Order: sequence, then structure tokens, then C-alpha cells
Amino acid sequence: MPSSLKYFLTRLSGSLITMLVGTIVVFLVMKAAPGDPALIVLGDYATDETVAEFNRKHGLDAPLMSQYLDWLGGLIQFDFGQSLSVSSGENIGDLLLYRLPNTIFVGVYAILIAVTLSLVLGTLAALNRGTSVDTSATSLAVLGVSMPDFWFGYMLILGLSIGLGWFPSYGFTPASESLAGAFYSGFLPALAIAAPMAAVFTRTLRTALIENLDREHVMVAKAMGHSGRFRFLHHVFRNSLIPYITVVGLQIRYLLGGVVIIERIFGINGVGSLMVEAAFARDFFVVQACAVVFLGIVLAVNYVVDLICAMLDPRRVR
Amino acid sequence: MTRSNTISRRSLLKSGAAATTVAMVPFWAGAAQASCSTLRAGITGYNVINTLDPGQMTLIPEAYMVWGIFNCLLKFDEDMNIVPDLAESYESVSPTVLRFKLREGVKFHDGEEMTSEDVKFTIERLQDEAFGSPHRSKFSAITEIRTPDDYTVEIETEEPFAPMLSYLTNTRTGSQIVPKHILENGSNEDFASNPIGTGPFKLVSHEPGAALELAAHDAYFEEGLPKVQTVEVPLIAEESAGVTALLGGSIDVTSTAPFADVPQLEEDDRVQVLKQAGTSTRFVSLNNSVAPFDDVHFRRALSYAFDRQAMVNVVLFGEGRAANGIIPSSISWAATQEPPELVTLNQEKALAELEKSKYGAGTEATVLTWGSSWWKRFAEVFVLQVNQVLGVNFKVEVSDSGTVYQRMQTGDVQASIWGWLGLVDPDEYAYEVYHTDGARNFENYSNPEVDKLLEAARRETDLEARGALYREAEALAIEDCPVLPCFESNVHNLLAPDVEGFVQLPYSAFGAQLSAVGNC
Repeated sequence: MPSSLKYFLTRLSGSLITMLVGTIVVFLVMKAAPGDPALIVLGDYATDETVAEFNRKHGLDAPLMSQYLDWLGGLIQFDFGQSLSVSSGENIGDLLLYRLPNTIFVGVYAILIAVTLSLVLGTLAALNRGTSVDTSATSLAVLGVSMPDFWFGYMLILGLSIGLGWFPSYGFTPASESLAGAFYSGFLPALAIAAPMAAVFTRTLRTALIENLDREHVMVAKAMGHSGRFRFLHHVFRNSLIPYITVVGLQIRYLLGGVVIIERIFGINGVGSLMVEAAFARDFFVVQACAVVFLGIVLAVNYVVDLICAMLDPRRVR
Repeated sequence: MTRSNTISRRSLLKSGAAATTVAMVPFWAGAAQASCSTLRAGITGYNVINTLDPGQMTLIPEAYMVWGIFNCLLKFDEDMNIVPDLAESYESVSPTVLRFKLREGVKFHDGEEMTSEDVKFTIERLQDEAFGSPHRSKFSAITEIRTPDDYTVEIETEEPFAPMLSYLTNTRTGSQIVPKHILENGSNEDFASNPIGTGPFKLVSHEPGAALELAAHDAYFEEGLPKVQTVEVPLIAEESAGVTALLGGSIDVTSTAPFADVPQLEEDDRVQVLKQAGTSTRFVSLNNSVAPFDDVHFRRALSYAFDRQAMVNVVLFGEGRAANGIIPSSISWAATQEPPELVTLNQEKALAELEKSKYGAGTEATVLTWGSSWWKRFAEVFVLQVNQVLGVNFKVEVSDSGTVYQRMQTGDVQASIWGWLGLVDPDEYAYEVYHTDGARNFENYSNPEVDKLLEAARRETDLEARGALYREAEALAIEDCPVLPCFESNVHNLLAPDVEGFVQLPYSAFGAQLSAVGNC
């Protein structure tokens, strides 16, 4: 087997095992959480009989092990079960299918903003090291890291929606309805999530570029008479991309954390807000489904990042 | 659940309108103010709606919508008087028989006429054990429903039962009239997501957790209502996001407001704030059968030992009022009018009662509460005050609401922070909490004299006499301090400056009130 194929297969099986362990953890944590979905659904009117009936109907009275295996069996066939208390009786697969595009849109939008900002600021800072440009870019980055996204989200609403009236203060138009509307109504939430990420990306890129600018092969290239532009693109920038992309991949986790809060503030009908609501309502099946989806996304992104890094630096595969 | 394409069409319309006015105004913030074919009424603080079947609804946002889609035989007016709705008039034929004359020509959303058969079907459905309605117990007193003709209904109870009129109003009681012709053969599951009522609005779409859309019921029986053609109802889980949505012009009405923001919003001319004391009661529930709360002197000492107004200020940011008892002041005909001595802070009397008690300073107890925000603060303010005044050693334990409720029902608790919201008949507060057999009596409280008065109140059909009985019963109960009444909180609605016609009711009858909104 070629070493590259072996590398990819090993990474893939690693991801799948992580996924399996993840489902066990998610399942057990939800079971250990206090609270009972039956009491939420039945509210003030719950009695012992109605609670027992509810649990029987949803298979919550079965032994833990068989509950888990039932759930896992469903997952493998992409059957997430039915919602208990967030949207009673609704198929969770349908809920997710409807909401996932919104979350992915805002997430990708945020990454695009963060990457664009950081490529500009990071490069400017590295090429103008020690000057006022560098100081400004680095200060902006510190500011970005220090601001909690929910706070920044409200500040954006206060300033740009309520104050200036440039953007809607609430609500999101799904891309399936209007792509322009999605970019417009998704701008503030995406920016709120992007700000801290952009800060981290900028600092990473700046450090990597500076490190590579001082490397010997760059000086050799200079001695050989290559132009500054050529040296930067082929010798400095490409080498700096590996740590940069790795960090971008790692930040996906924080991105998902941000999405959970930002979706609630801006009223985006996504998986993050669904998960929060489901957790409050003790809707085990929905929380588990959302967690598995998030886990899947993180693992998939990490896998893709590995692939890109391997392409940029084939030595990693051997 | 499918979202219709009306949203994008509307956005386009608005973007067109906005383009002709000012270039910098965002297309969906500006234009909507001009006309009022669409009202955007946000449900704030909640976003879970599991069912729109009145017979199954339990959650507040479910009721908000049910009130706009359905009608009951009766309803409450602004002063909380019971007035006819689908019934044209009603009378008591005998102490146990109520006769309702129905309006003629009332149409369900599908065009079928509503008749006495639908009323009979609705109530019998609630009573049916197989249907499993959470509201079943309220209608168990009914023994027979007769329909002499299409527009007459007679409801007979085994004994005189005065709360029945309240239970037949358009509130959280589940007695909204549903169509027999659909439910006879159709499934209850379908009905829960495709409700058909007689109300001013019909459901167009429901996107779980996100939004509902309602359209005017053109054949609605009240002349000239509803005034708007479409109502969009975004479900906004964060109350503070509801405020920014309103300030930014994304919605016209909210169903609640964050208490802490209210004083500031009242000064803000970009928003109208409606508020009044709601039908709610918040109290400290004491388990009267376990130490140290099995001693009436100890309970009295506690009741004397804390300042209710301080609670209102700290817990509700002033958005409420100190309670005189557990019957809310908005049910004015039955509520205790003046603060009884025993629900007023009095350090000397507190210590005197502690002296008589078999428990002294240093007594330990745990007060159970739930949630992270004001319920927790509520418990902390109570514990801090009684610890300071009496020198007892109380602690707060935080859990979640379902668990607290379960532990109260099973008696696995010493004291807990609790309350009821949106109940409209004094019986639902006083009888259910103070009576030995009351469904909400988790305190294991029993006083035969109180029981007798509450039973008499159930049979008394004269409102004034009935109210007097509740006051008498509550005065006696307060002497025993089975619960410590604390405060009632305000209900709030925020309206955009142009909104006209929205009338707030103490039980926050959100959906029902939207039909009268004429300008937004």
C-alpha cells in the first residue's frame, strides 16, 4: 500500500473511533443531566401515570445499554429519532436538515471574513514589522481576542442596526430563499463570530511569516536575484500556510461554540440555537443529534486540514 | 412546518419600496411602518411550541397562539370580568345547570359552521381519559352536556361548581372549541400541527423553534376584526434579543420584556411599554410535615422575618408588587385587599414567634430553587433576610424546574421557591394550594375550617359572596403560614411607537389581542 494512502486511511479510522467514543460520552452526559423531558412536556399537569406513559412511548424506560444501542443503530442509518420536548413528535432528521444549511452558511461566512481580514492584516504586519502598521494590526488582533462574541454581537446591533439602521437587528433570511438576503442579514452575526477568529489567525500568520522571512533559503533566493514578490509567494507564504491552516482548522471548535450563542442573539434558525433550546427542555435525542453533527463537522474539518497540509508538505505523509 | 415563499416575496416588495425612499435604509427595517397589512408580533423569552391543540397545550407560548386561533364560550374583558364570546348569552338554570345560547353563523377556518355539537364534542374530548388532556381534572365535575338545538348548550355538574365559568374562558384552560367534523375521523396528531378553530387568525405555517405565520380569518364573527391581514410571529428565545429586534424595527410587538430593562425602556420614545400586575403568585413553599416547618410558630417567625418589597426591588427590579396573599391582586373581587400583618416585616414579632417555637436560632434548612437567574436570586434574598433576622442557618440548593416540581410532589423537600402564573380563577390558587385535597397543595397543609370555606366558595355562584369566602379562607390560612406569599410580577408588552389597538390583559392574552391592532 502506498504510504500516502495508508496515512489517509489511518487518519480516517482514527476519526471514526473518535466519533464512536464521542457518541458514548454524549449519550452518558445527557443521561446524567438532571431533569426529565416528560415533566417539561407535561408541565404543571404531570402525574406519575402520564410521566410513565410518556417514558414508555419514547423508549426511555428501557435499560441504558439497549437505549444506547437503539440510538446508535438509528444513527448509522441517519435516523436520529423523534424530538421529545422541543418540537414534540417532529423527526429530528428533518429538523437538522432544515437548520444545518443556516448554521453552515453563517459558519463559512464567518471563516471567509476571518480569513480575508487575517490575510490582509497578517501580511501587512509581517512586511512592515516594527512600524506603526504592525502595531495597529497587532493591537486590533488583541482587541479581537479580548472581546466575547456575544458582547460584540450586541455592540454591532446597537451600532450598526439600531444606531445607523444599516442592517436588520433580528432575523436571518436563509440562502435558499435569497442568497443576497442571506449575505446581508448574515453579515453582523458572521462578523461577531469572525472577530476573535480573525485575531488569532492574524497573529498566527504574522508570526509564521516573520519566522520564514528570516530563514536562510529566503536569503539564498534573494542572493540568486529573485524578486521580493517571488520570494514572498514561493518561499515565505507557502511555508507559512501550514501552521496557518492548522490553526484555522482548530478554530472550527470555537466557531461552533460561538454559533450557539450568536444564533440565539440574532435569531438564526440553526443547529446551535436548536441545541441550546433542546438542552433547556431536556430533549435528549435532539441534543445528542446536534452534538453528533457538531462532532462530525469538527472531525471532518480536521481531516480535510490534514489532507491540505499533506498536500502542501508531502514529507508529513512519510 | 414548511416555510412558504411569502417571506422572500415580501422582502422583495419591501426592498422595492425602500429603494424609492432613502438609499441607506435597510430594506426590511424601514418600509413596513408605512402600511399595516403585516403585523410582526414576536414571542419573546420562549421558542418551544409542541402543540397547537388546545386540549393538549401546557406551555405559555402554545397558549399565546391558541388564543388567537380559537375561541371559547366565554372570555375575560380588560377588567377581568367574564363576558360572552362564542356564547351570545348564558344563564344558570339551576345551581347545577348552566345554559349557553350560542352565536349563529360562526364559521370555523374551513368554512363549516360551529354548533352546539362542537361544544359538546370539545368538552367530552377533554374528559376522555384516552385523550389524556392535561386539563381533564378541571372538567371532571361535569356530568352531562345537553344540546337541545344547534345553538343551545346545557352543562350540568354534579354539585354547584362556580369555577366552571372561568374554565370556559379563552385562557390556559384548554376549553377552546374544536371542530367535531374534523376530529371525529381525523387524528389528534395532525390537528396539533394543523389547528382549525373559529378564531380571528388561522395558521399558515409553523417552523419549529423559529416562527409562525398567521393569516386573517375572513369569515371571523366579530365585525371588522382582525384588522391586519397577516401576522408573523418570530419565536425569540432571548428576551434581550427581543428588545433589540423591536428597537431596530424588525418586530412591532413583544410578548414580554426583560425586567431589568423596563425602567430604561419607559424613558425611551422609540418604544411603548405596557405593564400591569399579572395573574401570578410567587411564594416560598414550606413542607408543613417535616422539621423545622412542622411548627406553626417557626413558620410565622419566617413570615415576619423578611421584607417583600425588598424582594420586588432586588429580584424583579421593581417590576411587581408585594403580595397580600396567594390570590393575585388582579383578581380583585377575591384577592386580599390590605397586607395582613403576618406578611409584613416585623423583627420583634419574628423573634417573639421564634421564642415560642420549638426550633431556635441556628436551625438549619435547605431552600430549593431552580434556574440560573431570578428564581435563584429570589431564594438567595429570602435566605439572606431570614438568616439575618432570626439567626437561623438556611441554605439555597439550586436544581432545575422539573426536578423541583417532582420533589415537591413527592414531599422530598423542606422548603422551595415556587409560584403559579396565568391561572384566572381564585379557586385555582386558593382551593388548590390551601385545601387538604388541593391538587397543588404540596405543603401537606390541612385546616378543616379553611377547607369548609373553600368548598363553600366553589358552590357560591354570586361573585361578591364568593369573593368574600375566599378572603375569609385566605385570612385563616395566612395565620397558619403554610406558604409564605412573596410577590406578583408585572406582565409587559413592548410596542413599536406606531402600534395602536393592542390591549394588555393581566394574564397576558397575547394572541387574542392581536386582532384589534390596527396600525403598526
